[in-house]
Amino acid sequence: MYGWIWRHLPGNAWVKAFLSLVLVVAVVYVLFTYVFPWAEPLLPFNNVTVDNQ
Amino acid sequence: MNVAATTDDTEHAERVGDSPSPGRPARRGMGPIATVISVFGELLITAGLVMGLFVVYSLWWTNVVADRAAGEQADKIRDIWARQDGGSGRGAAFDAKNGIGFLHVPAMSGSEILVEKGTTSKILNDGVAGYYTDPVKATLPTSGRKGNFSLAAHRDGHGAKFHNIHKLAKGDPIVFETKDKWFVYKVYAILPETSKYNVQVLADIPKESGRTKAGNYITLTTCTPIYTSRYRYVVWGELERVQKVDENRTPPEELR
Repeated sequence: MYGWIWRHLPGNAWVKAFLSLVLVVAVVYVLFTYVFPWAEPLLPFNNVTVDNQ
Repeated sequence: MNVAATTDDTEHAERVGDSPSPGRPARRGMGPIATVISVFGELLITAGLVMGLFVVYSLWWTNVVADRAAGEQADKIRDIWARQDGGSGRGAAFDAKNGIGFLHVPAMSGSEILVEKGTTSKILNDGVAGYYTDPVKATLPTSGRKGNFSLAAHRDGHGAKFHNIHKLAKGDPIVFETKDKWFVYKVYAILPETSKYNVQVLADIPKESGRTKAGNYITLTTCTPIYTSRYRYVVWGELERVQKVDENRTPPEELR
């Protein structure tokens, strides 16, 4: 999978490394701004109130 | 000896002679099973990294975001208070959306905690303490009525405002600051572990704390043990005195 991505990135090794870094940052950004905030309430780690639910 | 050495050498030479080629042909010729296993392995590694990132997100990033949000709202409210004090005008600026005051608990945290209405995660995730509107409505100290001022805040992440709740001991002060009054409470009972369904702790007269008469109580609730939400940690305090805010907003002696 990662090998496949590496082989399909254009340019020489340096360009590939730079593009990989950009991809990693983009993935982390998407996770932190969209995926984790969505997933968090569904996981049982951070409920603090007492209630009847 | 000699013989052995020679055989060794030839074998070695053979291997060296072979070695440049396996690199490429092996990859191209990777069988379907090997491909599936390698992709599966990479997916597992990815899952591990994502989970690690989620921990970073929960315990660090949410704090950054929440502290920023709480700081902005706190500034706004201080601003509104200052403007009202200026006498320029309309007292209409009491806006529950921006919060109603600040909680100071020196034994727990060095900084003030903004208090807002409601305990939904949307509100608490801004790094504030919320007072209960559901399932039991909190009685605000500003209302002048007897009852229970019940609050909740995060133990971890999202500002983690009640992170050190276990450091509170009997007799420690909890001070609630409003525009013109300091409400000084003293901790009198602690329930280190209770069910999350135990809404009795929010009652106007919290019987579990040992009180049987109506009074001015404060209840702090959060989750416990740290990093999980299995149980709830509850701290009760009782109003000791109310002090007027002077023009310099000199804090009561408990906070000095």
